[in-house]
Amino acid sequence: MDKTHSGALIQFQSVSKNYGSFHALRDVSFDVKEGEIVGFLGPNGAGKTTAMRILSGFFPPSSGRVFVCGTDMSKHPHKAKRAIGYLPETVSLYPDMKVIEYLKFVAKLKGVPAHELDGHVRSKMSFCGLLENGHRLIGRLSKGYRQRVGLAQALMGDPQVLVLDEPTTGLDPTQIKEIRELIRALGQNRAVILSTHILPEVSMLCSRVMMINQGEILASGTVPELASCLKDREAIHIKIKDKKDQHRALGILGSMPGVESLEVAEEVRGETFITFETSPDEDLRPRIMKKFLEQGISLTEIQRLQLSLEDIFLGLLKNGKVGRRFP
Amino acid sequence: MRKVLTIARREFSSCFHSWLGVLVASLFFLAAGIFFVILVLNYSKISMNPEQYGLSNFSGINQTHYIFGSFFSNLSIMLLFLVPILTMRSFAEEKRQETLELLFTYPLSDLEIVAGKQLGILLFFGALLLPLAGYLAVFHGIGGEFDWGPVGLGFLGFWLLGAAYSAAGVFISSLTKNPIVSAFGTFSVLLVFWIFDWVDEVVTGPWGHIFSELSPLAHYKNFALGILDVQDVVYFGFFFFYFLFLTLRSTETRNWKS
Repeated sequence: MDKTHSGALIQFQSVSKNYGSFHALRDVSFDVKEGEIVGFLGPNGAGKTTAMRILSGFFPPSSGRVFVCGTDMSKHPHKAKRAIGYLPETVSLYPDMKVIEYLKFVAKLKGVPAHELDGHVRSKMSFCGLLENGHRLIGRLSKGYRQRVGLAQALMGDPQVLVLDEPTTGLDPTQIKEIRELIRALGQNRAVILSTHILPEVSMLCSRVMMINQGEILASGTVPELASCLKDREAIHIKIKDKKDQHRALGILGSMPGVESLEVAEEVRGETFITFETSPDEDLRPRIMKKFLEQGISLTEIQRLQLSLEDIFLGLLKNGKVGRRFP
Repeated sequence: MRKVLTIARREFSSCFHSWLGVLVASLFFLAAGIFFVILVLNYSKISMNPEQYGLSNFSGINQTHYIFGSFFSNLSIMLLFLVPILTMRSFAEEKRQETLELLFTYPLSDLEIVAGKQLGILLFFGALLLPLAGYLAVFHGIGGEFDWGPVGLGFLGFWLLGAAYSAAGVFISSLTKNPIVSAFGTFSVLLVFWIFDWVDEVVTGPWGHIFSELSPLAHYKNFALGILDVQDVVYFGFFFFYFLFLTLRSTETRNWKS
């Protein structure tokens, strides 16, 4: 390992990727250190998969450099790739192979020496809970087990860096929990990058979040850090029973000091949802309830919402404006 | 090299994992058997009464030449159908199943991947030829006499022709995501090469000569006749490595496609 790289296992240095005139990634730079689990967050087409494919050595960036464990991916692709385990978005494995046969195939390709092969494959299988399924055909496995085989192949050769593209998509809740536990265990002495669009997953698993949109990193930091940027706002959401009262309710709310971004969020079966933002210093709810009562507007729900990762994310997507959350 | 062999082994065994591979192997074995039996029976019929077939001097007809000459040229026609099926899955199927993506992220060079896949197909094709040796044994057992040299060369030529064709097939497979498209594409390309063989019958002069020199069949015929010419070996080598090179280039296109 190269000492000059200060322990960062992954380094992106102003990486860009263009497909013709389309910019999938623009000047992206970041570092990931050992023991970190970094979450890539972004809408579909944001560039998450492109970034991961570049990192995994599937294709080179149009410009910029990628270092894995201090090795330049473009100069020594073999050495760099050996340090990486990659789980692609759609875990596609050879359906006509048996689990153990496939994992041995991968282990050989990743350069695991012949005399360690059996033990190595077995240890990864037991880690991923696959020991009892070694002789089943991959094509006959359930999605959850296929995901485990995918994870096991990523772990072959004990890579220092794991790149997991949407590792929990399409799994049932129990399987999601199991995979998350595996990832958490793996993250302790490695650098893990995972992409997801399940926001709670990021706050549960990741020590750091990177939000990507249109090929650029919008924000990067721990979940509390990102939340603190937007702490001065909070959202209140109100549900009124009668649609006819909507106008009067908006009038009342509009005249209150500190109410911003007032809008009708949704109308469902005559009920109206109204959302707005205030500063968290003063709780407006008692005043609102009192006024509505005086005016005879039937209020069925009033809720004060803490900003979640979702709000931060949506807020950032809307150029730094604070997001709102709908029920 | 270990990695190339690992990929080749997977490729080889995946041929047996599908019904298609087994079916193709059996059909090839069966069709080759039918050709062979017909040729042997024909030969024995002619040898009983050569005059009836307008052959006054039977001694001019050589057993090896009559049976194996025709046998290998029949087999070369079968290759037009066999090779597209053998090679259609090599890259196209992996692209369709998206298993290729993972392969490219392993510490492998593109050359190792392409070479491994090509080698796997060559091995499978070689394995298809092995049962044919059984026919020879039967022929020998019923009293047939032939020169081992020309027969051995015939097999070598056939394997070289198949290797060259399959390199073209693998290249076409690397261009598409659809194995069926790959099979039809390969068939068309092989058909064009097959037509090269007749061009000099229609076109005279230097063009006709150029086309017949480019035709794989013209070079293959020498082997079937028991002639080993360095030119022919070089031709097949060039054909094979040229398409291998194209396949290698084609795998690099992933760098500029999304």
